[in-house]
Amino acid sequence: MAVAGGVRSRLHNFLEGADNGGGRRLVITDSKTSLAKLVVENAVIVFGRRGCCMCHVVNRLLLGHGVNPAVCEVDEEKEEAVLNELSIVNGGGIQFPAVFMGGKLFGGLDRVMSTHITGELVPILKEAGALWL
Amino acid sequence: MDFPSTQFVSSQTMATYEPIHQIGMWGENFKSISNPNISASVIVDVVNKLENESETTSHEMLASSSKHDQEASKPFDKIQRRLAQNREAARKSRLRKKAYVQQLENSRLKLIQLEQELERSRQQQGLYVGGGLDTGHLGISGAVNSGIAAFELGYERWMEERNKQICELRSALNAQISDIELRILVESGMSHYFELFRMKSSVAKADVFYVMSGKWKTSAERFFSWIGGFRPSELLKVLVPQIDPLTDQQILDVCNLKQSCQQAEDALSQGMEKLRETVSATLASDQMGQGIYVPQVAMAMEKLEALVRFVNQADHLRQQTLQQMSYILTTRQAARGLLALGEYIQRLQALSTLWANHPRKPA
Repeated sequence: MAVAGGVRSRLHNFLEGADNGGGRRLVITDSKTSLAKLVVENAVIVFGRRGCCMCHVVNRLLLGHGVNPAVCEVDEEKEEAVLNELSIVNGGGIQFPAVFMGGKLFGGLDRVMSTHITGELVPILKEAGALWL
Repeated sequence: MDFPSTQFVSSQTMATYEPIHQIGMWGENFKSISNPNISASVIVDVVNKLENESETTSHEMLASSSKHDQEASKPFDKIQRRLAQNREAARKSRLRKKAYVQQLENSRLKLIQLEQELERSRQQQGLYVGGGLDTGHLGISGAVNSGIAAFELGYERWMEERNKQICELRSALNAQISDIELRILVESGMSHYFELFRMKSSVAKADVFYVMSGKWKTSAERFFSWIGGFRPSELLKVLVPQIDPLTDQQILDVCNLKQSCQQAEDALSQGMEKLRETVSATLASDQMGQGIYVPQVAMAMEKLEALVRFVNQADHLRQQTLQQMSYILTTRQAARGLLALGEYIQRLQALSTLWANHPRKPA
């Protein structure tokens, strides 16, 4: 599993970060990567198709709250495999973009939007350890 | 004493005969129309003529009847008047619908003719080898047209209902009815907006560009359009001063809501920008100049599908904002808010009409 590490990769990520709407980009190099591990290791992680605009929206919203989400951009070929594995992790159906917080599935753009408007999102982010204040 | 009753009878007779005469006229108007491109103004003229004549008739009828039973109880009079007005409104509505459907049928025939001509000229030029994309084209566009037609009809009805609700809210607030009754009006007002979002979602599946273009709205409304409708934060700015006075807590909550709206709108706008970049990049992903672009266009179309999700998300945001406001405000404040919103849109529509009709200086 190749996770951003080292100065060069970090710079690379920073430059590319703007492209996906913000967030640290994680790239799955092999299909045996444990997604469950990724989910547990990151307070907030967003799974989405590469170049997906909805993913961009989710990331911008989270960024606006001062959260730096990990972003996992999935290639088209690996899409089905990733969806399957995530469904097993979650114990139910998954759709892209999928946001995991505190090791659990939070939802898609719909839920992020709703909780953002009602003001529920910030407490949930704090509880997941994505925000400190 | 006999004079008033005689007048009443003859007016009544006049009222009975005129509508039938008018319907006959209506039929003749349509028979003489061979050109499928019947202009909307012709239909509007006919309907207006009918409306003016039937209004004068019903006014005469009512004037005589009120002279006749001056001693009769006032409420009965009001009820009769209301029933007559309702009947008139229903009749006008049916006639308008009939005219509209007729216009649509004619337009649809014309459209099919045009598409067939286009198909023929395309095959001759051979520029765009559409593969499977052109076959069944007529079938697809037929479904799109009927989706749009259904929406336009539904929207017209929706507007009528909304205007009715605005009147009810206005009189309810002036009459100082109980909070419970007011709550019912507020709830139905909100559900009515949710109904519009459902309708928009449906037609967006048929033709998302139709929703994005705002063709179904008046010109002034379109001026304020953002992803197929109003910007929630803009509406909040307009409506909050109308709901004064607010408690300190309410002011805080509304400020937070406005800020959240703006953030959500920004995120969606940026997503839209990204979509534009993606479609543009996909269309021009190869070295252009050879005239062969089928794969690029097909790929770009796949990307464009995301536009439907944007429209849905924007409406979802509008719905959430409406919902949240109803939690923050009291029933009375919510009623005033809904009334102000309805009236604001009516003013925008009036602005559009005024603009369309105002004399312009010669160039």
